[in-house]
Amino acid sequence: MPDMSAIANPQQRQFNPYAENGGTILAVAGADFTVIAGDTRQSEGYSIQTRYASKVFRLTDRAVLAVNGFAADGNMFVKKVKQRLEWYRHNHAKDMPLRSIARLIQTMLYAQRFFPYYVYNILGGIEEDGTGAVYSFDPVGSYEREACRAAGAAQSLLQPFLDNQIYFKNQTAARGYSHPAHLPLPDVLSIVIDSFTSATERHIEVGDGLEMYIVMAKGQTLPDAVTNLLPEELPSTGDGERVFVLKRDLKKD
Amino acid sequence: MNALLSKFSATDADSEIRTAMDLAEEDGLTDAMWGSQAGFGQLVQGHAFNIPAVPNPTAFLRLHTDDHADPNCKIKIQHGTTTLAFRFQGGVIVAVDSRATAGSYIASGTVKKVIEINPYLLGTMAGGAADCQYWETYLGIQCRLHELRNRERISVAAASKYLSNLVYSYKGMGLSMGTMICGWDKTGPTIFYVDSDGSRLKGDLFSVGSGSTFAYGVLDQGYRWDLTDEEAQELGRRSIYAAGHRDAFSGNTCNLYHVKEDGWRFIGNYDITKMHYDGPGAVPGSLGSGYGYDVRTDNRFSVLPKPVSA
Amino acid sequence: MSTAIHLPRSGFDFSNANRNAFLEGKGVKMPKATSTGTTIVGCLFKDGIVLGADTRATAGPIVADKNCEKIHYISESIRCCGAGTAADTEFVTALISSNIELHALSTGRKPRVVTAMTMLKQRLFQYQGHIGAALVLGGVDATGAHLFTIHPHGSTDKLPYVTMGSGSLAAMAVFESGWRPSLEREQALQLVVAAISAGIFNDLGSGSNVDACVITATHTEMLRNYVMPNVRVEKERKYGFRRGTTAWTRENVRDMVVSEESRPIATAASGEAMDTS
Repeated sequence: MPDMSAIANPQQRQFNPYAENGGTILAVAGADFTVIAGDTRQSEGYSIQTRYASKVFRLTDRAVLAVNGFAADGNMFVKKVKQRLEWYRHNHAKDMPLRSIARLIQTMLYAQRFFPYYVYNILGGIEEDGTGAVYSFDPVGSYEREACRAAGAAQSLLQPFLDNQIYFKNQTAARGYSHPAHLPLPDVLSIVIDSFTSATERHIEVGDGLEMYIVMAKGQTLPDAVTNLLPEELPSTGDGERVFVLKRDLKKD
Repeated sequence: MNALLSKFSATDADSEIRTAMDLAEEDGLTDAMWGSQAGFGQLVQGHAFNIPAVPNPTAFLRLHTDDHADPNCKIKIQHGTTTLAFRFQGGVIVAVDSRATAGSYIASGTVKKVIEINPYLLGTMAGGAADCQYWETYLGIQCRLHELRNRERISVAAASKYLSNLVYSYKGMGLSMGTMICGWDKTGPTIFYVDSDGSRLKGDLFSVGSGSTFAYGVLDQGYRWDLTDEEAQELGRRSIYAAGHRDAFSGNTCNLYHVKEDGWRFIGNYDITKMHYDGPGAVPGSLGSGYGYDVRTDNRFSVLPKPVSA
Repeated sequence: MSTAIHLPRSGFDFSNANRNAFLEGKGVKMPKATSTGTTIVGCLFKDGIVLGADTRATAGPIVADKNCEKIHYISESIRCCGAGTAADTEFVTALISSNIELHALSTGRKPRVVTAMTMLKQRLFQYQGHIGAALVLGGVDATGAHLFTIHPHGSTDKLPYVTMGSGSLAAMAVFESGWRPSLEREQALQLVVAAISAGIFNDLGSGSNVDACVITATHTEMLRNYVMPNVRVEKERKYGFRRGTTAWTRENVRDMVVSEESRPIATAASGEAMDTS
């Protein structure tokens, strides 16, 4: 006898194209540099899919994009942004300025308003005026320029820490002193490293490896304290901004 | 395939969009998108939104983004706000808070909720942050095109109606906006309230968002047409402070704008906690003292221990 | 006329069960219990049993405890590893441990592993899975070495090597490839360490250190933090705060020393002695 239960009890199926792949990203802008960092663990549920999957990507000599959320959407989105930036290079014989990349990302995300990319983006780099900048986005393209931002699984652990250490929130300065508007690069790097080692200890989806991209403004050199950490310099086109990568191990449990 | 699907589509708006999608290429990538026209090139020619290939795209969107219905949904769109604008003898005052929340998490405390459409028009942001930012930027483009075509600035009424018609064409698709379009045109200072349901109202005084009830309380008791500029600015600040103080989803800082005949001017950014304890600082119209703390606690402690004798 | 309200005098209080089920159906989020998304294992060797556990306790994706103890005491030669709801594993093993002790006292014999297993499974079955405890029970008694798994609904297995918890698949992979009958003590211990390590590194619910417990007929050795492969790295910076960092609205300095002045009363002048009777 044929199975009639399917007719008697109609079943509903749902289209669920999204997954959550864990991990955390973070960016801090300095006066003439920007640090953009992310861990390299990619997970789903309680399983690690890979211990090394980059979430931070160089777009141009002065722009770096970190993506977090659903890895498939993130990788596809970065691919499409890179494609649009290449078209821009062919048309204008120069790299797109950072603030324009930010607006481009808004329109690309909003084009998917009714079928969103499940991706939280943080764009970091150097503006045309030589200052460090961080732009953060929501999945459908609302964006804002900030000095620092954490996103992803451990966002709620890291952002309050950054608010306190970078913006000096809830810290009153000593009488006659004021808090600095921007921290020097070695201080920022140590805060970023401590952020990730702490997130690794307390969040199960963060760990394995840490990639930190450093974008230096035109004419700026790395301080000795940072050169001693032996960062790798990525090839750049000329005498403009320079991009360095620093890698660290994180706990793997 | 798409033609077949559209036969079974749930609403007219869906099928209309789907037809538009069929016309565009995979991503709506046309020559107009190349180079400096960036993403907006495509919009001038019509819809270019990618729609999921499901029978009911609106339900799909709601399933994955609506955090009121389901706190566990993956994509959290930012909500929660207090915004206000009022008309008076000296122009229009626009004041907003700067908090963005995703559930109980404060996603940002530095959001710019006043969108500078052009030197004469301001829009406020309540509801979906991306919806407001994107469509009010788009409105700026259309206003500029209007200027070029007609050799004169667009009226606030026309600009707001353009936005209203636009969001109405997406009605039921999940846009979420509650905005006030403020400006000064030939008719004088003007405010229009426009929302994603399709409402468009002209008025003297509006407040929008989860903290609007608190703002209205202060606003209504202090509002007169013949307020001086300083008094009006102080009223705007004081109202946003009240909302920031009492509404958990509003707060952090207040951004204040003043629209006059020669266009808008940014007056300042004020920390709401600082306003509570110390006041807005040495600004015109301010009393020079905290709005909340001192008036509630000064010399009114239940137990005042004796000071240490020397 | 008054009606007596009968409340159970002991055991669980179910008075909110229906209300909570209703609220949950309405979409209200219930508070999360700390769960030990865990790797726990046990294996038989020549002279007895080796039990193993990781030491991570989680609440959702957050690590609640980096070094908790998951090998619980039942009796001197019976121990029980717990996975699942932390409070349930803790209390159900403590309760059975207590009953086993009473049982041993009343019979005058060393308790048997099957006894503990039966008491645990009956308890868990009685509560139909609502006590969220998944257990690995092992020990040595008069009848030899025994190793059981007990599932939250009360079913049990008796096997030479077992794993449970979210890291059970990773750990079982190690056992399936490495376990042989009548292993030496050291071999069995290393196998357990390898199985727990597989859970620690490949399962996000498990982490931190390896606890182990070797039980033989004559001796039980609890090897707390036997391997520590995830020591905390030193932070780059010191995070001390200058005195006066926290803002204040009012300053009030109080003298905490109570000063007292005593003056002798002239009793001799009045001629009357104080009545001290």
